[in-house]
Amino acid sequence: MEELVVEVTRTDEKGNPKLQSFNVPKDKVSTVLEALLYIKENIDPSLSFRYSCRMEICGSCGMEIDGKPHMACSTTTESLKGDKIKVAPLKHYNVIRDLAVDIDGFFDKYKAVKPYIIRDDENVKYESELLQTPAQFDEFIDYSLCIKCGLCMAACPIEGSDSDYLGPAPLAAIWRYVADNRDQGAKYRLEIASGPEGTSRCHFVGECTEVCPKGVDPSYAIQKLRGSMVKYEFQSLFRRH
Amino acid sequence: MAEIEMNNGREVRSSTGSIGRMFQAASGLFLIFFLGVHLYVAHIDFGHPIQFFTSVIENMHNPWWLAFFIVFVWVISYHAVNGLGGIIKDLTMSEKGKSYVNMGMLALYIVTVIYGTILAILVARIPLP
Amino acid sequence: MVEENVKNLREGPMGWVKFYRKGIGYFAFAMHRFSGLVIVFYLYLHLFVLSHLLVGKASYNSLVTSVTYGPFDSFLVLDVLLALVIFYHGANGTRLALNELGIGLHKNKVMFYVFEVIAMILLGIFLYYAYMFLGAS
Repeated sequence: MEELVVEVTRTDEKGNPKLQSFNVPKDKVSTVLEALLYIKENIDPSLSFRYSCRMEICGSCGMEIDGKPHMACSTTTESLKGDKIKVAPLKHYNVIRDLAVDIDGFFDKYKAVKPYIIRDDENVKYESELLQTPAQFDEFIDYSLCIKCGLCMAACPIEGSDSDYLGPAPLAAIWRYVADNRDQGAKYRLEIASGPEGTSRCHFVGECTEVCPKGVDPSYAIQKLRGSMVKYEFQSLFRRH
Repeated sequence: MAEIEMNNGREVRSSTGSIGRMFQAASGLFLIFFLGVHLYVAHIDFGHPIQFFTSVIENMHNPWWLAFFIVFVWVISYHAVNGLGGIIKDLTMSEKGKSYVNMGMLALYIVTVIYGTILAILVARIPLP
Repeated sequence: MVEENVKNLREGPMGWVKFYRKGIGYFAFAMHRFSGLVIVFYLYLHLFVLSHLLVGKASYNSLVTSVTYGPFDSFLVLDVLLALVIFYHGANGTRLALNELGIGLHKNKVMFYVFEVIAMILLGIFLYYAYMFLGAS
């Protein structure tokens, strides 16, 4: 039976990275997540990684596969070519153990942009739905597909050099709500996006879009958002709070 | 205060970062023109190449060229200092650190512009050999 | 909370130049920064050289001719490299400026190649005429 070598960057007792290779059976349909599960069930039960749904919905199994952030559940070993796969934890996060990283920092940034519909008439009970035309729906739907896997945060070079930068997913979330005609919270969100850690720190690298498993295109969202930012910042200059 | 609470404790301070980026882009486009003219004049069509000194002085005696180079210095210094500051601020540092970088870049800009302007004017006042 | 022995995999600015399996946008970004820093360095070097105009004709001419006709004419290689980074920076910068205005947001890769090819052709033309100009003496 043909075999595949999976080289995993693990953590030793002191928390330092160490490489360990495992041989797993090779076929045309298995995913990297299945290869890792094979290792855990048959070779080394101490191998740690995070996963849940196995079908690219929960956003848990993000990891660096052959040097690029991928979802382990939707990346087949066949698609990677070669007989050796390098698997490492996502960059720009704290490693808890082996391939499991601490995503609290990312979630804190995501929460900071208020990722929910804000209405001025918050306590009013509506008698019907807030209707939207198909065109209004199309404005934001692509950006609402984000599964918060955090791959874009691992791919962004600015996120890698400055931990305070909000990052692609939170900024794309701002545009998702700003572009939604039901939302009235732009005044809060644009303030965050115009801050020193906001859109002005994006340098059009586009790596976030390259790695996004759901085709959200955070890079495009940030550039759309920047158009609103210039207008907002000019208005802020001539306004007294 | 209420707004800060809504931001889950993250204090937010709006800035002019996007306007700065817009100016950076605009000054960059101007520089394509400025630098194009400069490269043509100084490296392709500049009198006899061995008479560098005389060519420069002659050029700067024309008030239009003098004004051109002074504006060139102002714009290129802005673009350079703004870009340099942007690169430095992409490193992890405190908000205070970033404000020091801003002040440092402003000081560098002022010094460069003053030096460049004075140099251009003094060169324009050198009598032709 | 995570354990105390966690290691942060934040790469810092060194991550800007790691191109392995990255898109062309990453390369464009890193080279834009690098070329920008080179040009800033040259800007101040240029001001230093121009300051010799105030010292006098002999001083300025000897400085400029020494790096163009000798004995330090090997500096011309650096001049060619400088022209290369300036043309690269200008071409990529034009693309970024158009992006800033909302133009070509979905055509970045094509725009990068088109602008760079145009810039390199212009660079070739510039170097040819600049060489002819120097040779005119």
